[in-house]
Amino acid sequence: MRFVILAIFITCAPLLRAQQSAPNEEVPSVTARSQALELAGAFANDGFKIRDGFWGGAIEAKKPQFLQVNLFAGNAYWFSASVVGIGRKLSLSIATDAGQPVQGDTFQSEQSVAFGFVPQVSGRYFVRLELTTGEKSDFALVYSYK
Amino acid sequence: MAFLRHSLAALAGLIFIGLAPAGLAEPGLSSSEMQSAVRVESVTIPSPGEFFAAIGKSGQPNWTQLFLPIPPATLASREQMALLLGVLVADGYIAVEAQDSQGVKNTGKDIINLAKKLNVSQSILSRSKSLNDFAENNDWPALREELEATQNEVKISMAEQQDEKLIPLVTIGAWLRGTAVVSEFVQKNYTPESAELLRQPAIVEYLITLLDALPEGTRADARVAEIRGGLETSLKTLNTNPKVALAPEDVQSLASTMNGLVNVIIKGNEGG
Repeated sequence: MRFVILAIFITCAPLLRAQQSAPNEEVPSVTARSQALELAGAFANDGFKIRDGFWGGAIEAKKPQFLQVNLFAGNAYWFSASVVGIGRKLSLSIATDAGQPVQGDTFQSEQSVAFGFVPQVSGRYFVRLELTTGEKSDFALVYSYK
Repeated sequence: MAFLRHSLAALAGLIFIGLAPAGLAEPGLSSSEMQSAVRVESVTIPSPGEFFAAIGKSGQPNWTQLFLPIPPATLASREQMALLLGVLVADGYIAVEAQDSQGVKNTGKDIINLAKKLNVSQSILSRSKSLNDFAENNDWPALREELEATQNEVKISMAEQQDEKLIPLVTIGAWLRGTAVVSEFVQKNYTPESAELLRQPAIVEYLITLLDALPEGTRADARVAEIRGGLETSLKTLNTNPKVALAPEDVQSLASTMNGLVNVIIKGNEGG
């Protein structure tokens, strides 16, 4: 039942925000972070702990950005990212230290995306984030583990 | 992967999403793309809790034995205080793993006392209360998140008072203490799988980069210089035979180096 409520909340939250907030009322990066945390919160209910740090900034269409992370074999991870602005979409993937994409599960919703996987090897990985739809905007990414 | 799908399935049934296994159709990254990857200290460096979660799957560490309160020392410099603050944060995670409520409270108190000496306590006083409340209620998941939040709050305060040079030292102190504890456990309970958790050369390279970016005066601090040397030594160990698991002697070498560096941090003024 908790997932039902969360799912509805995640879907509707951006719309509610758009309706309730006056223009220029929110700092964009805070909005992006808040949206990413909302999505990560769904996984927190499944025992995933959300890291306190985040990666953020501005992202342009078709200009992917990359982040280095260091992960542990055996832990499960969810990377959750969000972009500010209705109609924008992100794609998110993870590659190994050698640049090879890893297999995992993707969750895609309006403005937000998540990628989950369990690394087989400890070490360095690369997060690839791309704005696939919409114009330049602010984004934020957080990750959670268990 | 079943538990990942469990979370997703619940979400996917209700909302308009694309849910699919991913990764197979993606092209590989080019070397220039990998080189352009940014590193963000609070994301690129794993938290001690993350490290401990992984080792907890490879064995059953006796966290109570691994939690050794640090004896009070005469602190020589702000650099030492920042390093020690990181060590204490890692100790907090160990106390959480040991489910030692009083240990968490004591460590939280030590963190606040040290933060006071660094003039960054104001913003984390509420965190101190939260740590106590969560410890009182044995809320271990919340404590893990609160410890990281406390550490980041201290770093934000350091930045606000133009003490940015101390921020990487907090991160390094926490990483050294976490690695010292885990490597000591693996040394005594060796398996190739648990030894592989220790092979994180990219983290050590990044920590060295952070140290090299510090102002000359900070780099000249005897402890900071010694830590940089120790990190170089550990990097050589971690890069030995990268295609096979770290050998027992490599784990022993790493444990020795890391414990030596933690002692460099916690030893009193007379040693520094």
